[in-house]
Amino acid sequence: MFRFMSGSIRIAAFGLSLMLLPAAAFATQYQLKVDGLACPFCAYGIEKQLTRTDGVKEIEIDINAGTVTVTMAEGARLSREQAKRIVEDAGFTLRNFAELPAAD
Amino acid sequence: MRKPFAVTLVALAAGVAPILAAAPTRAHGPLFSPAPETIFKGGTELTLGLHTEKATGASEHETAYEASVEAEYGLTADWEIGIEVPYARRDLDDGGGTAVGLGDLTLETKYQFWGRDLPGAQYKAAALLKLKLPSGEDARTPRLGSGSTDVIAGLATGYESRRWYWFASAVYRANTEGGGLEKGDRQFLNLVGGIRPVLTAYDEPDTVLMLELNWERSARDDLDGVALANTGGWELFVSPVIWWTYRQFAVRGGVQIPVAENLNGIQPSSDYRARVEFVYHF
Repeated sequence: MFRFMSGSIRIAAFGLSLMLLPAAAFATQYQLKVDGLACPFCAYGIEKQLTRTDGVKEIEIDINAGTVTVTMAEGARLSREQAKRIVEDAGFTLRNFAELPAAD
Repeated sequence: MRKPFAVTLVALAAGVAPILAAAPTRAHGPLFSPAPETIFKGGTELTLGLHTEKATGASEHETAYEASVEAEYGLTADWEIGIEVPYARRDLDDGGGTAVGLGDLTLETKYQFWGRDLPGAQYKAAALLKLKLPSGEDARTPRLGSGSTDVIAGLATGYESRRWYWFASAVYRANTEGGGLEKGDRQFLNLVGGIRPVLTAYDEPDTVLMLELNWERSARDDLDGVALANTGGWELFVSPVIWWTYRQFAVRGGVQIPVAENLNGIQPSSDYRARVEFVYHF
């Protein structure tokens, strides 16, 4: 759509489209690979520890894959050290910690 | 016949100790024996337990019903403390009477001293210690409390995976004298296997089936310095258990079925024991 606009209008339109992107697109997501996740009842401890953590917006636990996906509120970050402590306080071991690419 | 019965009545009236052998647990542990699991750091678990058991002798029966409330708290992910308060009813037929009221309160702690996490599985080992206080009524028959301060110590280990479970534990209960009667010390050995038939997702209801093998041995009771002939011995139980959980809520129930025994003298043997628990942690 930008090829029909003049240069300055094109830049302004592009900037406006960036501003209109949903806020979720800027939320940071992390994937925690957790060892020891054997049953849903005990995995609840991870959910509980994460909900106590500032900035955590959404939690998705895949018990069969052994992963916990954490979506942070806009501007909030989760460090590897924080994630390790959270997982260990829940009674498990953090195997891997990765920041997922931002959603488009 | 009357004398053995009277002595047996005294021993029966001292309370139904097997209730204290049961160890409420988190995660998917056994129902009639201890598990190595501890609750997460800062977590609280509340358990409402309902227990009944019946024992039959040559001419006497004892039936016990107990409702208990247990609260446990995770000091760390490996160390928890708890308290259990029972409310019991005991019936002794053949003129033995009925008693209803608070039973003996138990303080407990468990420390998980070893663990190994693998993808989708955990190995654990823990030591547990319980102190049973003489808070229950012990001045009438049947007694709701033992009148003694007893110490229960044990070790438990286990493996939990998405599909399979096993646990093993050994427990020693050291009883002291209360009201002239000292119940014999007890030993418990337990082996448990379990399976999750269907692998469910995190937010779906989950069911696990277990089978416990529980062996219990008791030394002879001692009444005012005299060992009671018709007390002590061992019993072996096979105990099917079912777990149903949904998020942080669990219901579990099971029955202990006696399959072998060698009890001293003339005394009632167990007919069955049944227990159901409602568990919530947060």
